[in-house]
Amino acid sequence: MLNYTLRRLMFTIPTLLLISFIIFLILDLAPNDPTGNLPLTIPPEVREKIRASLGLDAPMFVRYLLWCNQFFINEPLNMLYEGFNWCIGDCENRLRVTSWSTRSPVVDLIIERLPQTLWVIGMSYVVGILIAVPIGVISAYKQYSWFDQAGTFVSMIGFSVPTFFTGVLLIVVFSVMIPNDSWFWLPSIYDTTHVVTGLDSAGEWHFSTLWSNLSFQFRQMLMPVMVLALYNAAQISRFMRASMLDNLSQDYVRTARAKGLKEKTVLLVHVLRNSMIPVVTVIALGVPQIFGGAIITEQIFKVNGLGQLLIVGIQGADIPLVQTLTFLFAVLIVIFNLIADVLYGLLDPRIRYE
Amino acid sequence: MKLKHLMAGALGAALMSTSAIAESHMAQGRDGHVNIIYWQAASILNPYLSGGTKDIEAASLVIEPLARYDEGGALVAWLATEIPTVENGGVSEDLRSITWHITPGLTWSDGTPFTAADVVFTGEYCMDPSGGCQQLAKFDGVESIVAVDDLTVIVNFASAKPFPYGPFVGGQSPIIQAAQFADCMGVAAPTCTDANFNPIGTGPFMVSEFRANDTISMEANPNYRDPSKPAFATLTFKGGGSADASARAVLETGEFDYAWNLQIAPEILDSMEAAGNGTIVSGFGTLVERIMINLTNPSADLGDERSTVAHPHPFLSDIAVRQALSMAIDREFLVEVGYGQAGRPTCNVLPAPAIYASTANDGCLVQDIAGANAMLDAAGWEMGSDGVRAKDGVRLSILYQTSTNAVRQDFQALIKQWWSEIGVETELKNVDAGVFFGGDQSSPDTFQKLFADVEMYANNFDGTDPEAYMGGFVCDKIPSPENAWLGTNMPRYCNPDYDAASAEMAGTADINERARLAKAMNDMMMQDFVIIPLVDRGRVSAHANSLEGVVLNTWDSELWNVADWSRAE
Amino acid sequence: MFDDKKTPLLRVRNLKMHFPIYRGLMKKQVGAVKAVDGISFDIFEGETLGLVGESGCGKSTAGRCVLRLYEVTDGSIELDGQNIAELSGKELRAKRPEMQMIFQDPQASLNPRMTVGSIISEPLVEHRKMTKVERSARVDELMDAVGLARRYADRYPHEFSGGQRQRIGIARALALNPKFIVCDEPIAALDVSIQAQVVNLLEDLQEKYGLTYLFISHDLSMVRHLASRVAVMYLGKLVELGPSETLYTAAQHPYTQALLSAVPHPDPAKAGNINRIILEGDVPSPSNPPQGCNFCTRCPRAIDICHQDEPEWRQIGEDHFAACHLIE
Repeated sequence: MLNYTLRRLMFTIPTLLLISFIIFLILDLAPNDPTGNLPLTIPPEVREKIRASLGLDAPMFVRYLLWCNQFFINEPLNMLYEGFNWCIGDCENRLRVTSWSTRSPVVDLIIERLPQTLWVIGMSYVVGILIAVPIGVISAYKQYSWFDQAGTFVSMIGFSVPTFFTGVLLIVVFSVMIPNDSWFWLPSIYDTTHVVTGLDSAGEWHFSTLWSNLSFQFRQMLMPVMVLALYNAAQISRFMRASMLDNLSQDYVRTARAKGLKEKTVLLVHVLRNSMIPVVTVIALGVPQIFGGAIITEQIFKVNGLGQLLIVGIQGADIPLVQTLTFLFAVLIVIFNLIADVLYGLLDPRIRYE
Repeated sequence: MKLKHLMAGALGAALMSTSAIAESHMAQGRDGHVNIIYWQAASILNPYLSGGTKDIEAASLVIEPLARYDEGGALVAWLATEIPTVENGGVSEDLRSITWHITPGLTWSDGTPFTAADVVFTGEYCMDPSGGCQQLAKFDGVESIVAVDDLTVIVNFASAKPFPYGPFVGGQSPIIQAAQFADCMGVAAPTCTDANFNPIGTGPFMVSEFRANDTISMEANPNYRDPSKPAFATLTFKGGGSADASARAVLETGEFDYAWNLQIAPEILDSMEAAGNGTIVSGFGTLVERIMINLTNPSADLGDERSTVAHPHPFLSDIAVRQALSMAIDREFLVEVGYGQAGRPTCNVLPAPAIYASTANDGCLVQDIAGANAMLDAAGWEMGSDGVRAKDGVRLSILYQTSTNAVRQDFQALIKQWWSEIGVETELKNVDAGVFFGGDQSSPDTFQKLFADVEMYANNFDGTDPEAYMGGFVCDKIPSPENAWLGTNMPRYCNPDYDAASAEMAGTADINERARLAKAMNDMMMQDFVIIPLVDRGRVSAHANSLEGVVLNTWDSELWNVADWSRAE
Repeated sequence: MFDDKKTPLLRVRNLKMHFPIYRGLMKKQVGAVKAVDGISFDIFEGETLGLVGESGCGKSTAGRCVLRLYEVTDGSIELDGQNIAELSGKELRAKRPEMQMIFQDPQASLNPRMTVGSIISEPLVEHRKMTKVERSARVDELMDAVGLARRYADRYPHEFSGGQRQRIGIARALALNPKFIVCDEPIAALDVSIQAQVVNLLEDLQEKYGLTYLFISHDLSMVRHLASRVAVMYLGKLVELGPSETLYTAAQHPYTQALLSAVPHPDPAKAGNINRIILEGDVPSPSNPPQGCNFCTRCPRAIDICHQDEPEWRQIGEDHFAACHLIE
């Protein structure tokens, strides 16, 4: 298994290099202009100078190699320097991948966005799984019962009703219709600067401060998490149900019953554990989406995570930002594909990678 | 974090109140926290590296220009002692230099003095050819910028500049601190992330945390020139979302105090305002929705000479017809249908700034169908049996084109109805905006070619000086095949008096004289009815009812007077 | 009707298993697949009853019903005088250790994610209060009994051959010392060379532990070798039941005769003399069985009454039962 994993990892390097080049090529060929969003009152000669100052006058290949140098060499070296204070080469003036719209290092922007993305989108994934698994299990076990029908209906809604509808609906109900001094009121705008800490302004730790900070965080996360969790749960519960149905009709389930096991044991130990194998891989394959953020939901609740960063980058033709983000997504997808394969091997004793 | 700021602010206010009880009600930071939402998030706080409105306005909380425009479009001294003019000797007689005097005693938020060297540095910073400065146009024609002493700066122009208020005027051209940006010249400009995210300024606020494309946390500048301002100790500038979501946050949920640029349907905005949490404010600039009359014959029979001055229009060359068309329109109703609080009826193509706005044509505000009919009758246009007037075999039948846009199509339908009531037959046409405004030489549907009798669109100009804009209607600027249809004089208007006024304005520095000329030019076109102005389209923002002191300004940053904002008792 | 000398371990009376068919938008029940449609038989302690029939005749369903792996539609199943069909969930679980099943497909019937040791010991965890050491000793004992090396206890089912897997299945079934085991075609999925080994193992175990088998198979020669009595099933109903020798030499029901005529004879010289009866047509659908005798559509000797009245299940000889109008 270790050999297999290492071999796969080795193959990912050329794959990712190729992906990075293709992304660069696509972005370069796409008709976008970083000065395109500027007011019409900025004259064309000024635009030309702005483009030149961004390095856009160099040939495409040179720009690609420059990005490679910045991303694959300078950024890791900078991480070593900032993380562990190991200085290799000129640490202070290293040229990092720099966003055109903010003129700041792209990696720093991404790190700044990670907390809210992981909190909100990650939590919605976890909540989605926690909702989906029991629904999938019960729906399959009681196939065609009213519960199964209701589960199917809810997943259909989760699949087909877009998050921009459910999100706005929740806002109208919980932020607008409910008065904002009510206990049920929820904020419609996510405060990314909120820090969950027990320290008050005087620097003293109080449980009550921690509690109020935590409950604020909970309230502001509730709506976006629920909107996304519904969508995630819709998908995963269908997988769970299908996989459970596959396994429920297997002979070993009959064996388990013939053993005189409790129905709960039959279901949760025998059927569920086997049904989880494909579901776990599907869940693992979905993890990169968390980092990709949820563009629409982030926009509706103003979460301003990685999805919003990407969309702002695309709108502003901020190529270094878009290139780096897209490439990091590609890395995550490749890695989580590998993780899914390895998990499959770990969970299913029938599968052996040699 | 927010809580911490709030408490720090409260603590600060408490301390101040104990030390100076008498002045406590006027102390800086007395009103705690204010929340501002811009649905486009700020990327950077250096306007020289970003032309985006959101970035310029966010930066205006921190860094300030020498002079800026007030809500009426008039220049007001900001960091300078007064506006230099030829009269007060600030502008040289040859119009080639302008001398600014800096208010004495100004300091940066870090406590260091604000000097002429900072102003000179700002100019050099933007004019560095390798820096990619996005406000370079503001420095157009600048030959040199010289600091005479710590409080005096002279800007020299290569040639006479009747309107010398480009550099260091308005939110697009604020002063940055030389000490902070010294290492950020030219190619190094983009590498100064800290300076670009957290510029040291003279403004009422300073940055405590900058999250690019997301949220800026600010606190009051303790070294602000007026110790009683700003009233707010801390400020959050949140970005992201959409115009309707930010309107909702102020008007319905009450989470925010100020929301910027709410381009949404008037009825939705009105229903949100009905919730009672906030107030919609609108401000008007120079954007006017107008109908351009074609004074030349657009008939396809004319081939290459179609819509050129060689062939006058068969009936629109009659001023009575043009005036009747204008009189038949109910501009109030158009505003109500299309723009709500974001629009107001206008009778001028140059509706602002206030000193340039003429009042000579306001009669058009009242619809007068009967008057229009009478005028056409008097001019000999007789009503035919089909309800269309005609004279000498020429029927009043109009092809009316505009770009594809829901509001414009509503306007077309309404105007067609009113024109039919005065015996004018109208055929409507709409063209995709990309084609209409695209300037493609091969397309017959561009707004410059004007292969129609009338067309409708909106236009404005940048800044407050109308010289170039009004200069666009002289005879030379008539689009024609000779100049590849690249002209701005869509009506093909040619009036020697107008051309003379335009030329005179180009050589006049006195602001009142310039205003007189601009008004005269506006009135000439209005009274010749070659342009039918319809709606003055404005900017709409909203603020919470508890937020006082908001003065919406379309000529400068909307946040220009944030130092005067306060919380209602 | 039954021999008084022996008491049956299992009494099955009028066992019915109908699977409902739902159709349409509102999932209305429109009919039923009558997989088992009223069968009755006894199994005596220590004997092996063979249950034979074509695939799809309902014999596997019958086997599962007997252990109440399905909720039966009607009828009674008495094991040791206790009606399994009416036991509550808890009582049924308590009864499970007495009755076990060996499945046809040893691969599918073993949980792929459990080791052999845990598969065998799981029923012990559920039904016996044993320490870990005791359980492990019992697993070793069972593995010895079925001829599997003890060191295999930590392996997963997929690492074994088909024959070995069936031994695991048998060891698992034996774990709780059952009295009665349903063997549902236990050798059908195995290579011929392995089949004999498994059958011998089953015989040895029966002798050693005094087990009672219901042996379900379509392999008539294997059943003849194993079973003391044989029941023949067609389309959800029993058609004939009798002692092995009687049935194989003097079958009365036309269907039994047809089945037996298809068995290859061990002596090819004699094989030529046997008159093979070829049945025509397909087995009717169990959701829509023919009127009268179920076999009437294919019976080479069917008469009018066969198409109208269902034949009665009656005794026709010593320990010999059949349902056919032709038998007098």
